[in-house]
Amino acid sequence: MAEKARKVLSYQDHFHLKVSDLRKALKLALSRGGDFADIFLEYSISRSILMEEDIIKESSENIAIGLGVRVIKKDRTGYAYTNDLSEEKIKIAAQTAAVIASSTGSGVATHFKQLKPRKDIALVRSLATSSFLQKKIDLVQRAYHSAQRFDPVVKKVQAAYAESIQQTWIINSEGLSARDTKPMVKLIAKAVTEKNGRREIGFYGGGGRVGLEYFYQKLRPEEIGREAAKEAYLLLDAVEPPAGEYPVILAPGDSGVLIHEAVGHLLEADFIRKKTSIFWNKLGKKVGSEQITIYDDPTIPGLRGSYNLDDEGTLPTKTLLIERGTVKGFLQDRLSARLMKKPLTGHGRRQDFSSWPVPRMSNIYIDRGEYAPEEIIHSVNKGFYVSRLSGGQVEDSGKFTFSVTLGFMIENGQLTRPVKQATLIGTNLDILQKVNMVGSDLEFGLQTGTCSKEGQDVPVSDGCPTMKISRMTIGGLK
Amino acid sequence: MKAEKNSDNLRPLAERLIGYGKKQGADEIEVTLYDGIEFNVDVRLSKIENLVEAGSKFCAIRVLKDKRLASASSSDLSISVLQTLIRNAIKRALLTHPDECAGLPAPALFKVDDASLKLYDPEVARTRPQEKIKLALTTEKIALEDKRITNSFGSSFVNHVLKTVLSNSSGFAGEYIQSYCSLSIGLQAGQGDNLVEDYWFSSRRHFRDLSSPEEVARKAVSRTVRQLKPKKIRTQNVPVIFEPTMTSWLLAFLFSCVSGVAVYQKTTFLADRLGDSIGNELISVVDDGLLPARLGSRPFDAEGVPTQRTVVVEKGVLKNYLCNTYAARKLNLVSTGNGNGSNVVPNNFYLAPGTANPEEIIKSTKEGLLLTRTIGHGLNPVTGDISRGASGLWVEDGEIVYPVSEITIAGNLGEILKNVEMVGSDLEFESSICGPTIKVAEMTVAGV
Repeated sequence: MAEKARKVLSYQDHFHLKVSDLRKALKLALSRGGDFADIFLEYSISRSILMEEDIIKESSENIAIGLGVRVIKKDRTGYAYTNDLSEEKIKIAAQTAAVIASSTGSGVATHFKQLKPRKDIALVRSLATSSFLQKKIDLVQRAYHSAQRFDPVVKKVQAAYAESIQQTWIINSEGLSARDTKPMVKLIAKAVTEKNGRREIGFYGGGGRVGLEYFYQKLRPEEIGREAAKEAYLLLDAVEPPAGEYPVILAPGDSGVLIHEAVGHLLEADFIRKKTSIFWNKLGKKVGSEQITIYDDPTIPGLRGSYNLDDEGTLPTKTLLIERGTVKGFLQDRLSARLMKKPLTGHGRRQDFSSWPVPRMSNIYIDRGEYAPEEIIHSVNKGFYVSRLSGGQVEDSGKFTFSVTLGFMIENGQLTRPVKQATLIGTNLDILQKVNMVGSDLEFGLQTGTCSKEGQDVPVSDGCPTMKISRMTIGGLK
Repeated sequence: MKAEKNSDNLRPLAERLIGYGKKQGADEIEVTLYDGIEFNVDVRLSKIENLVEAGSKFCAIRVLKDKRLASASSSDLSISVLQTLIRNAIKRALLTHPDECAGLPAPALFKVDDASLKLYDPEVARTRPQEKIKLALTTEKIALEDKRITNSFGSSFVNHVLKTVLSNSSGFAGEYIQSYCSLSIGLQAGQGDNLVEDYWFSSRRHFRDLSSPEEVARKAVSRTVRQLKPKKIRTQNVPVIFEPTMTSWLLAFLFSCVSGVAVYQKTTFLADRLGDSIGNELISVVDDGLLPARLGSRPFDAEGVPTQRTVVVEKGVLKNYLCNTYAARKLNLVSTGNGNGSNVVPNNFYLAPGTANPEEIIKSTKEGLLLTRTIGHGLNPVTGDISRGASGLWVEDGEIVYPVSEITIAGNLGEILKNVEMVGSDLEFESSICGPTIKVAEMTVAGV
């Protein structure tokens, strides 16, 4: 795809604060001898539109403004935030965060270097937050009607649109000053089908750090509506999942959530340095099959998990986590990198100004392998094909589960009957060793995902090619 | 920081915004202002890891124009910003479609006295940070004295104080202040690649009602170490005993299925089932916003509708859906005081306790699973289907014999409610959704 050189989105000042004001606050934050301090300022606008029961039912507009002051002393963090940006309130926040340390003051840089990303990862020609509301209402109606028209069994439809633009300014005691603007859009549809007293629900959507043109060129609202309806339609005739151990094939794209849960979280550096992750002592060790190479890349243009700067002002890098089955790296934020004496990778993220940054994924994916997807399916005599994974959860000990919203039975190398809601369960080291075929068809899943950690939600996306896991436990009815 | 003093100006601000909205042409307008303080300390391995103290305010607005709804919110409380949001909302409302059911609730006939609910304990904010930090440190210290515990995720003390001021153009004006505090700890046990983890917590509105560090630590330790050396089991259908935390999880799913919003949207298998028998006669479920000092109590919901006691299921019969004003109008019912914008939320939503004590329930089981944890999602309100990763303790001849892990449980909420054989007497109000131990006659437990 040909792309024109993209300029970084223009930055508007909503804070009305000078570098010298913030330097004063940083000095106060380090007045009791902290090792490091930073201030995160945020101004964001988000809007949403909801359509159900054939009418545009509601729209909303939300404004968030505030700042958070963080002080680090060794492995301790002091944090305070306020949504009142008056001099007095900023001073109180700085003094509160300072309490984490208790000695004499330490210094703050006198010169602040402006850090600016050269190229914007956001792919925006028509900025959603600056476009007319009517245009977005039209998108919602198109998605809604397309789902409704799919088949008479579709009884209820919901379509929703959301957009946001977040402006951040991060300034720290080492002399960094970084500003960024992060746009986001999302359009989703849900459809409920009904037949013979049975009800099923389907979901589809898309978006990312893109402009409104995405919904005219890349993913049309009609496709979003149709896919949601199609899923709910297929589920009406879906059979109960089998229970027990079977070979499992994961469809490309959305199945990336499996890697997100089973591997990604446990490679976040805070769990590594606290030794609670099963991977803490496995750097350089082989933990999985030769087929598996995993990256986390915040710099992929337009994706939901991407960013120009992380929420500590670090330029992010594509980070190799696992190479041909061997652990090669971790996802770092400043605190963990400092304590582990490792370079920054740009994975310090936060939900908003009221939260301090922690190591997080952005866009994690399994790199493409050598098998054709058909070859992988043909290799299974009796097994389970996961078409859509809706989410999952992992414990530090490596136990995880995934929810399959739509699957298919594999019989004699062919996809046969659709299978409804099932759960996959396993432990990560076991699964990593059992991945024995990885396809050449790498895709990223629906650009609608959010990841939760320690009560903080951040946008993410996951990717993977078609993959085969030799055996996995499926929870279903006997 | 004292929320109750700083927020004296919230009431006049709310009234001023309502006047402004009406002048700009809104038919109806509702303004909610929140003023809160937060304290949070996380300690790990005997040291403070994170310490947070903060105060914040928030404003939420809903306007209606010609039966068309628009909403807005802001953490910037400057009058010019809020006035702009109101003007924008009125303009946006005109671009949406009229909806006969939209609108503020009719003025209430009575008012709940918030003092009787005992929602606020001044001790929560008054207690010195050092004392709160010490509670967290002590909890962890006691837990780590047990040599079977090999790592700590940390212990936390958290508290909030929140003042809510709600006014609308139909003449409602109410406010209340509430407090919350909690003490929690997460632990890990085991060696090498065979690790297990669990946590425990106590959360209350009143500081003196919190469990002691000893109780929280002891419970967290026993919940963690009982999972050590798990076995895998083969796939089978057996009785499943739900611990109170697991019953709460099941009830949270039931809540989403009796939500009036899900009912009018037809996204629940319990739609159009009022008056039907949906469970056996051991099942009685109540939502009650009026229980003194409980976490889910409040004098009025987010629309200013007084809260009440609502019987949702009585001896197996579905009696009421839980509604906000909009869902109630859609369904020709009355709001149950569970409103939260366009959603509904539980007040205190609980399964009424039975007579069996939890030990008796285990003793009554020849072979089965005592469910202690589930992970993952796998709940589908449209069908009532449940499919979750799980772990628990295996029961044989009325005794717990060993832990089991890497299993999944599958079933259907409708079936489960009909197959509950025993309901325990051990109801505790640790969260706004809760229930006692229950035993379900049969579910599919998938293993190897």
